[in-house]
Amino acid sequence: MRFDLDAVYLEEEMRETPLARRVIAALAPGVPVYRVPDGRSAARADREAADPFAAGKRRMVIMRRRSRFLMGCPAASNEFACCGYLVMELASNCPMDCGYCFLQEFVADNPGFQIYANYADAFAELDRVQAGAGRPLRIGTGELADSLAFDSLTGMSRDFVRYFAGRDDLTLELKTKTDEIENLLEIDSRGRTLVSWTLSPERVFRSSEHRTAPPAARIAAARRVLEAGYRVGFHLDPIIAYEGADRDYAALLDRLFDSIPAARIEFFSLGGLRMTPGLRAAARRRFPRDPMLLGEEVLAPDGRYRAFAPLRMALYAAINGRIAKEKSKTRVYLCMENAGMHRRALGEAPPTPAVLGARLAGGN
Amino acid sequence: MSASSGEEAIRAWAAARRLPEPYLARWLALGPDDRTALLAAVEGLRMRAGQLIAALDLLEEISVREAQPVAAILARIEVRRILNGAGSRPGRASALLAALRAIRFPRLARATERIAREIAALGLPRGIRITPPRELASDEVRVELIAHGGEELNELLGALARHARALARIADLAAGVGWNGDEI
Repeated sequence: MRFDLDAVYLEEEMRETPLARRVIAALAPGVPVYRVPDGRSAARADREAADPFAAGKRRMVIMRRRSRFLMGCPAASNEFACCGYLVMELASNCPMDCGYCFLQEFVADNPGFQIYANYADAFAELDRVQAGAGRPLRIGTGELADSLAFDSLTGMSRDFVRYFAGRDDLTLELKTKTDEIENLLEIDSRGRTLVSWTLSPERVFRSSEHRTAPPAARIAAARRVLEAGYRVGFHLDPIIAYEGADRDYAALLDRLFDSIPAARIEFFSLGGLRMTPGLRAAARRRFPRDPMLLGEEVLAPDGRYRAFAPLRMALYAAINGRIAKEKSKTRVYLCMENAGMHRRALGEAPPTPAVLGARLAGGN
Repeated sequence: MSASSGEEAIRAWAAARRLPEPYLARWLALGPDDRTALLAAVEGLRMRAGQLIAALDLLEEISVREAQPVAAILARIEVRRILNGAGSRPGRASALLAALRAIRFPRLARATERIAREIAALGLPRGIRITPPRELASDEVRVELIAHGGEELNELLGALARHARALARIADLAAGVGWNGDEI
């Protein structure tokens, strides 16, 4: 992926780390590197910029992570039927720029593109979590940043795939909208790494998913990692309920199944577009001409704007129906929806987060 | 109307009704035909500043959704019928906003209308009120009984029981079950 970086800020304490050396060696010529005592100040929003969030994406900060790397999924809630996902924060923000991205609100105050050079500390946390879990765990790195978008610079994925290859009770999920898989192809994951792609119809990609790989390139990349021994999954999330979306999602799935048989796909997660009022305002301010941000969303009881309930339900059911036609055992679950929606749309009650989490992690 | 006189007229309207500056700026940022068409509508219906703001929001969003200029939206038959129709101006101003909202949220408007029709068709006694979720934002249907005395309550409960199947269908519709493929 091509990076348009204005500058790199390197925290003094991290300057001799392998990651810092790798990133600086891989930078395009002419990108200035500034040493700073504390990367957090460099990550803060530049309020003078016309678009502080976009400016943050062009300012890479190589720094130490001061809090834990592992945490529960920030989207988890008792309101929803959840998937027991754990997230590992290796970076914050992303060089891509999707119109609907929740980071526009979530990291609005600290939009600098942070990469944590002490990421090897995460291995000790993983060891501890594994020892106390008592069930298989699925741990993803794609929550506050795309898992692979910066991998050509950092090469982090190699270290993590190797670590997880030796852990039978842990599954690493690398979630991406890129086709940056070259580092993965060099390593035997022993099936312990699952690479997942967020997939959207061409219309959403063109309208909203700026600087991402086209859907066809994502599917082709998925096919390649599958052949290299990785497991694959797909997130149809956010599902945007524009007129004709049902046909477009069916066509997208046709295209996917032409390339990858459903039986080889671990899961589909489905999630309708949801936006807090703050995110909606930020997204519309940044992308006022994007019709995907102007759907038939209404304020739902959870305080987020969502497509009105029957419309969401109809789309979930249609997509699930198309997947079911393949007669595979691929798991389908909803993200950030309640148990009632799950039951009506998918025809069954959702498993508990622990059960679903273990199934998604265990691959059986 | 020339572009400059149109702008002056808009500024005068905004000043008279204390329209906040950001909305005035958005109005003036529309194309000349669009802002003039909107001025004609708000003057014709004697709209208040709040109604102008609501109309501007809806028109801008419809314009992006449908890739159509504001003037073309205001020239649609269902909108023109309101702008040029009979009836009180406040009534037509409300009708205009409702029509724009139906254009902005077409499937929601159809779904809401269908559920309202189904409820009306039940012909329930006055003491029973069925309230679908606001804007169909959730799956929660509220059923209220308003009775004065035990006899009346028994009558209402009986009516509810007689309509149980139809009411369940309405609750299903609100929850997204039972729609035909092309309805939403």
